[in-house]
Amino acid sequence: MRFITIDKNSWANGLENLYGNYRLFGPVKNNNQHFFKELAKGELPDFNYLNTRLSPKSLVFPQTEIMFEFSLDENDEQHHILKEINKDYSPRALIGIRPCDAASFMLVKRNFDTPEYKDNYWLHAYESTIFAGLACDNPCNTCFCTSAGCGPFHEDGLDLLLVDEGDKFIVKILTPKGDNFINSAGWETEADPTASEKIIAEMQIKAEEKIASSVSTDKLKNKSTIKLYDGTFWDDIAFACINCGTCTYVCPTCWCFDIQDEVTRNSGIRIRNWDSCMYPLFTLHGTGYNPRNTKMQRVRQRFMHKLKYYVDKYGDGIQCVGCGRCIRLCPVNIDIRKVCDIMNNYEG
Amino acid sequence: MKDWKPRIVGFLCNWCSYGAADLAGVSRMQYPPNVRVIRIPCSGRMSPKFILAAFMKGADGIWVSGCHPGDCHYMEGNYYARRKFALFKNLIEYMGIEPGRLHFSWISSAESTKFARVINEVTSAVKALGPRKHGIKTMPDELVKSKISMAK
Amino acid sequence: MSDYTSKIKEISERLLKEEKVEIIIGFRKGTVPMMNEPCFVKTPEDVKELVWDSNCGINLANYLTGRKEKIAIIAKGCDSRNIVTHIIENKIKREQLLIIGVPCKGMIDKNKITSMFENEIMEVSEDKENITVKGEGFEKTLNKNDVLQENCKICVHRNPVIYDELAADLIDEQKVDRYEDVRKIEAMSPEEKWSYFDDLLSPCIRCYACRNACPLCYCPTCFVDESMPQWVGKSIDPVDTRTFHLLRAYHCAGRCTDCGACERACPMGIKVRLFTKKLEKDCLELYGWQAGLSLNERPPLDTYRPDDPEDFIK
Repeated sequence: MRFITIDKNSWANGLENLYGNYRLFGPVKNNNQHFFKELAKGELPDFNYLNTRLSPKSLVFPQTEIMFEFSLDENDEQHHILKEINKDYSPRALIGIRPCDAASFMLVKRNFDTPEYKDNYWLHAYESTIFAGLACDNPCNTCFCTSAGCGPFHEDGLDLLLVDEGDKFIVKILTPKGDNFINSAGWETEADPTASEKIIAEMQIKAEEKIASSVSTDKLKNKSTIKLYDGTFWDDIAFACINCGTCTYVCPTCWCFDIQDEVTRNSGIRIRNWDSCMYPLFTLHGTGYNPRNTKMQRVRQRFMHKLKYYVDKYGDGIQCVGCGRCIRLCPVNIDIRKVCDIMNNYEG
Repeated sequence: MKDWKPRIVGFLCNWCSYGAADLAGVSRMQYPPNVRVIRIPCSGRMSPKFILAAFMKGADGIWVSGCHPGDCHYMEGNYYARRKFALFKNLIEYMGIEPGRLHFSWISSAESTKFARVINEVTSAVKALGPRKHGIKTMPDELVKSKISMAK
Repeated sequence: MSDYTSKIKEISERLLKEEKVEIIIGFRKGTVPMMNEPCFVKTPEDVKELVWDSNCGINLANYLTGRKEKIAIIAKGCDSRNIVTHIIENKIKREQLLIIGVPCKGMIDKNKITSMFENEIMEVSEDKENITVKGEGFEKTLNKNDVLQENCKICVHRNPVIYDELAADLIDEQKVDRYEDVRKIEAMSPEEKWSYFDDLLSPCIRCYACRNACPLCYCPTCFVDESMPQWVGKSIDPVDTRTFHLLRAYHCAGRCTDCGACERACPMGIKVRLFTKKLEKDCLELYGWQAGLSLNERPPLDTYRPDDPEDFIK
């Protein structure tokens, strides 16, 4: 494992060196909120943030993505033929992504990259991205990453981890991609691995202690799916829900999309947009029948998917990294921590 | 820009303004050819969605015309329409559509002269404003070029 | 606020015990600061869950649509006006309802308070006019009136307009200028207006929280979900987004009570009330109408007067 340190004075300079080789994305403050945005030349990511309002999933899985274009003009030789779109898959770097968000990409990868099916749009974007993480030393009161299989210094899904240490960053380089990135920036102050490891371990313990909330997930796997599905608690949980899609749109691990053709006059595009299991339209059949017609059914689906079906299918935890965005942004305060605990302890 | 001709969508009530258009035609009246007419059963049938859809697809101006108050074929359709139009016109102008893009009139089927006059007024008002600058839905091929599919 | 809570509990318990209603719709304490969760209570034992404080901004009328049982609902001024609208629009029957009115001194603005502090807020408590905010390394007391939701600041119907029980004595109504912000926009040139709303809407993620939080939005199929014809595209083309907001607001014309549910629900903090307020102002100026004040008057787009203003018609 290689460690280096970056003096904060040479931070801007390094980014400047990277600029030609990578498209840089980082957290930027706008209207009191941080969002991941492409950085212009000379623009610095703002690391003074708890977490971004929206997850960075849109950088790999855009809310709206054009898949094909086509022409309906019969004078055009190629009419009615779907044509691929050229996309910019040049190297990109996500700078300052939190470990929880980075871990979410690993969860989502299970859906977009399977032995049977490969989602090339997602995969290409994912493979062209460097994940330069920023360890989290000041978690929010809604963070519960440590009990969601993740943590403030978690390394899964990262190419390198930046640890803020006053006037410098300690960088733990985790992959060859990360190595290239660091070399390309010209940061080369090697740090002693043992000493760095020790400092990071101490900071990690402190950060993990700060995480005040947690969920219990230990019993989910052995619960009967049918019993949970028929649980008596769903009406109470779902009552407040207004069936907006906020929770699913802000969630880094929600991956559902819907494909649409949009035609204006003679030309059209096939696009995919984020979709949400909170919307009645999500499951509406062409016949008019809707198997998830009530909001209780939809709320149940969201939580059962994340906290039971996924657990059963992959066997290594919940489909959630504990970023807490859905808790912070739900307009009616439906709290996944509470729901998870109810499900975990349900003896119906 | 010299050759630019405005495209105006006219929604005309079947029972009055549409008849006035016929009468103006058979009377050989001259008026600008920039209005594409869509016949509607009553000004009360007019949905704001029609207006927005036309604007989104690139109409430079929109004109809705129905029967004079008291003359509605369905007794009161135009009275309801009048309230809808008042609020709607104010709202879209509040959001930045220029006054002069959206017009309303009452024209009975006997008023061919008024029909020709209003069509003149509407056309010159829209001409004076020039082509629309905002709010037209992006054509698919331009979207492809603009790489919307990359990060927001 | 604790006296409000205890009175609400007392009334609720009585109503359930006497079997006057089958269900109480109210609020329970939230899991994060400055949030309460709408909930229902069906037994006298569960009444203890109910709370009332300055974090009950969600409009509970939203939870009445199409319900069949006998309901007691806790209603502040705006909720009660939306209940009136619901009754007028046949979404619920007056006989089904027992309205527990709450004279309301305003709800606090979560986004505003959050943005006042660099650090994470851990706890917010209140005592009459004082809001105390605590977080790591800080504690500050704010005056509630300085941190009210925008719509509460300019509310002129704080008392419920319709009720069967009262949780507190009625309070004085405010005399305020409700439309200063609307007039500011009206005075802009079309070009300025256009870019003003472009900026305003640019963060929109089309999650439809504004629509779904609104008690007026109960169409079985919303126009944005219609596909034949498809009025609004589903991508994040700014033209589609603007059209969505325009039509959403217009559907509330003459019905909106400015309860602020839409703005409160927006995860991106967009001031979506600016659209509905314009319509509200016009309804007042053109037709002398304020929504939800009376069960006996038809809403402005469901009626007419022969002499309605028509100077905009040729």
